[in-house]
This record gives sequence, structure tokens and C-alpha cells, in this order.
Amino acid sequence: MDWNLFTSTTIYASVLALLSLGITLIYMTTKVFNFAHPRLSLVAAYAAATLMAYYAQSTGAQPNLTPKSSFLGSLTVPFSWEFYVIGVIVAMVFGVIAALVEYYGILKPLQRRGADYLMLMIATLAYDFLLVATLFIYNTHVDVRKVLARIGVLSTKMSMTSYDVTIVTSGGAFISGSFIFSVILILLLGVSLYLLLFKTTLGVKMRASVENPPLAEVLGINVERVYAISWIISGLTAGLAGYLMLMAAGAGNLKPISATSPADEIVVSAFAGSIIGGVNSIFGSIVGGLLIGYIELYIPNWLAIWTGNAELFKYSKVISMLAVAITLLFAPEGLAGLLKGERWKKLFGRKEEEGVSEE
Amino acid sequence: MAEEEPIMRLENVNAGYEKLQTLFDVSLEIPRGKITVIVGPNGAGKSTLLKTLFGLTTVYSGKVIFEGKDITGLPPHERAKLGMAFIFQLNNIFANLTVIENLRLAGHDLPKDELEKRINEVFETFPRLRERMYQKAGTMSGGERQMLAMGIGMIRKPKLFLIDEPTAGLAPKIAKEVLANVKRLNEQGYTVVLVEQNVKAGLEIGHKGVLVVSGRIVFDGPAEQLLARKDLAKLYLGLAV
Repeated sequence: MDWNLFTSTTIYASVLALLSLGITLIYMTTKVFNFAHPRLSLVAAYAAATLMAYYAQSTGAQPNLTPKSSFLGSLTVPFSWEFYVIGVIVAMVFGVIAALVEYYGILKPLQRRGADYLMLMIATLAYDFLLVATLFIYNTHVDVRKVLARIGVLSTKMSMTSYDVTIVTSGGAFISGSFIFSVILILLLGVSLYLLLFKTTLGVKMRASVENPPLAEVLGINVERVYAISWIISGLTAGLAGYLMLMAAGAGNLKPISATSPADEIVVSAFAGSIIGGVNSIFGSIVGGLLIGYIELYIPNWLAIWTGNAELFKYSKVISMLAVAITLLFAPEGLAGLLKGERWKKLFGRKEEEGVSEE
Repeated sequence: MAEEEPIMRLENVNAGYEKLQTLFDVSLEIPRGKITVIVGPNGAGKSTLLKTLFGLTTVYSGKVIFEGKDITGLPPHERAKLGMAFIFQLNNIFANLTVIENLRLAGHDLPKDELEKRINEVFETFPRLRERMYQKAGTMSGGERQMLAMGIGMIRKPKLFLIDEPTAGLAPKIAKEVLANVKRLNEQGYTVVLVEQNVKAGLEIGHKGVLVVSGRIVFDGPAEQLLARKDLAKLYLGLAV
């Protein structure tokens, strides 16, 4: 097995899972397909990079790239731990801010004026353009460039990959901090979402508000607050994805950060993950995102080896588009629908359990 | 309060949906502790009348009075706080939640032991729900769903239940069961206003009968009297006489 392909694909797949989750969550609660979602990650990445650079500058820290030996192998930690913690927190905070600005600044006022789903969807595209423009302006800001340049991060195409924590094991295997972080993140996310949704009152309220808003309201549940919480979670996960994009540019299909990249390329894959997971399933979206990440890189890789034509790598997005087409044609409810078994029952001709009929 | 004092009253109400008027000069009293059954042909305004009681329509003129207070124009969630429970015809439960989750959700703002006590009361009234406690509500039969919808209402101990066509789309046997449950609800002391398309079965469990035709009240009196009025039955209800 190609270890490097596996780790970088895993990081990429985790980014997709985080983004697909955000897209699905927002679709389930506010019924908006948020095309600006991947861009929220870029806002978070820019904010994180800037504040990490400021932190390094203010403490006078210089990147230390000499490896130390540890029980895992030779370990390189270029900056102190606070540097990375600041990055994660800032990314999450700015992801949330960008998401809430979108919801309260644009979508909510439009909804109040009676905008339908299509109008809201186009409004998310408009917000996306607005963010691109804002990031471009920010990019060319002299002070920002100076700060970022001081620790060696160019501001028009940013990457902090060289400052990622790395471990080279005695066997020679290369493990990056982003890889470990992404694996832990996905596991934690799955577990905490499960606990939130199924073990807390807030979670039950969330599921109720998603399923039947008028009834939830009649029972005195603040549906509006539930929507706000889902936008906050969506912003948090977008922020985490942004942090990974910053720290692991080059992993999978992740490109260095700029106003447009990698959001422009990744938006297709993130939506593919959401659709394949079944647009109405939170856990489906995580699995769908991961799946898209893996097949998007592994299938072209196999094809390239099989045909001896490395050019085939360029067509990785075709794989995710095909996956979407197949899902919509044969299993429109996505993985979640398949797991529910409805499709299997239909396939094998078993009688459907009918709710509203005779016993 | 005196037995005769009605819990709710409509005074010369003209109402409808936005600009489409469907109720004309309706005056009605809802007696406390009784089942009031609203019947009438399709499109007569039965559901509009029920929704007007809960504030789901536009009232152009007239007064809606609940327990002596003028509540015309009060939004539905405020009426819910005053002690009114509206059970929708469809989508009146959370299908993806379990039975117990549905009930806990209904009493989310109650203290924990009070909530458990009330859930127990629901289970005593509808023992079937206890058996289905951990089942997803959406997998239950139509009759059981209506049972749960009433249970959700009971958790909040409303003074008045407004139930919109609970038997629509159900097999006759199940429909009978649902109406028996409405009766059981009333026997627990709850006041009920019921809109029912099955005129005969509805009026049989009701105390008061109201016949609505073309947005006007044509009959308002004891349910058995309405049931006995062959002339009205023939004219409006399509009952075999």
C-alpha cells in the first residue's frame, strides 16, 4: 500500500466530510443549498494564517525545523503548541462568524421578504462572490503580506504545510500532524454529533425542528434558535476544514489557499459527498464526504497505474460527478436511504411497512 | 366557575384565509367539559372554523373569546400558552423520533418529575403507547399515531383540545378506535372540539353538534338532535336515511 497516498487522501477526505456535513446540516434545517460553504473555510484559513503569523511575530518565534527523537520516531515541531492551538481556534471562530453573517445578514432578511428556496440559493452564490472579492482585497493588503511573508507564508498562495508537525518513524513512514488531526477530528465529530443528537434534549429538539417545524413551534420549541445552532455548527466545521486546507495544502486535491482556491475546485466534491450521503442524513454526509475523497483519488490512481497514463489523474472530478449521477439515478436517498433498508426491501419484493393504513 | 359558563365563544366572526372569506357571521359557544362536534359537507368551512378558534386564520370582524378574555388576533403559540392544544390532521407527530422522545419533547419545559408523572398519565390513558415506547413514531399504525398526537397534547394539560379530522384516511375499524380515544380523552375531563367527516360516528360520541354549510352555522344544538334531523342529513350530509 502506498502510505503517502493513503495519508494525504485521508486528509482530503476529512476536509470533504467536514464540508459535506456543513452543507447537509444547513440543507436539513434551513432548506438552503449553501454554495458559499467551502468559501467559509477560506475565510477561516486566512484568519488563522494571519493570526498565527502575528503570534509568531509578536513572540519572536522562528520556525525550528530540526527533528527531535521521540518514542514515535524523529519528531519535528516547528512552532510551539500554542501556535497550532491558536490556528484551530481562530479558524473555528471565523468560520462561525462568516456563517452567521451569511444567515443573519443575507438569508434571514430575504426569507422575511418572502424569498423562495431558489432565490436563497442564488443569494448564497452572491455571498460567495462577495467573499472572493473580500479575500482578494485582503490578499493585496500590504501589512498583511508583510506579516505573512515574515514567517515565509506568501499571502496570495498560502500554505503552512512546511510548518506542520511531522513524524518520521524508525521504519521510514512519514506521518503529518494534519493526518493525525484529521483522523481524530472525524472520530470526535461522529461521536459528539451522535451524543448531541440522540442523548441530549437539545438534540431531540433539533431533530424535531428539522422534521416538523410547525408542530415544534406549537409545542413551544424555539425553532429559530435551533436553526442558529445548526449554522454555528456548520461554521465550526467549515473553520476546521479551513485549518486543514491551510496546514495540508498538497494533500489529495487540496491546493494552496488563495481567494478562489481550493474552494472553487472542492465545491463540487463537497456537494457530491452531501448528495451521496443522502441530503437528509448528518451521518450519511460524513461517510459520503469520506467516500468521495477516497474514490476521487484512488480510482484515477488505479486507472493511471493500469493504463500507464498519468494524465488520467486530471480527471478525478469526473469520478465524483459520476458518483452523484449514479446516486441520483439509482438511490436518490443516498447511503442513508440504502442503510434504512427501504431500497433493499423494494428490491427483494418484501412488503413495505405502512404507517397510515389498516393494521 | 359555573358549569354553564362556556370555555370559548365566537361572536359574529367573519374569517378566512387572507382575502378569501370562508366564514360568515359565525357565533358559537364551546361548552366546558363536553365534546363539540363540527360537521358539514366538504369545503363548508369546518376546518376553517376550528382553525379560527386557534388563530390560524384571518379574522376580519367579530370577537374570539377564551375564558372570558378577548383573544382575537392572538398568535397560535400564545394561545397554546393559554391552554389550547391543536391537533393537526396530518403531521401531528414527529415520525423520526421514538414515542417517548415525542412525549418528552412535548413537555420539554416541565420539571423532570412532573414530566414523568404526566407521561405516566398518558400511558395509563393509552396503554398501547407504553408498549410502543421505544419505537419510532413513524412506524406505528394510523390509529396509534393519532393516539400519540393526543398524548402529546395531554402532556401540556390543555384546557381545550381542538382536533382536526383525526380519522381522515383511516380504515373504518381504526377510525372507530380513534373516536373512542377522543371520548376517553373527554372522560379524563378534557374539553374537546372535534371536526369530523364521518358525521354519524362523530355525532355519536359528541354532546353538542354544529352543522356548517357554506361558511354559516345551520344547526347548533345537542348532538343527538342533529343526528335525528333527517331533513338536514339528507340535504347536506349524504347520510343514508
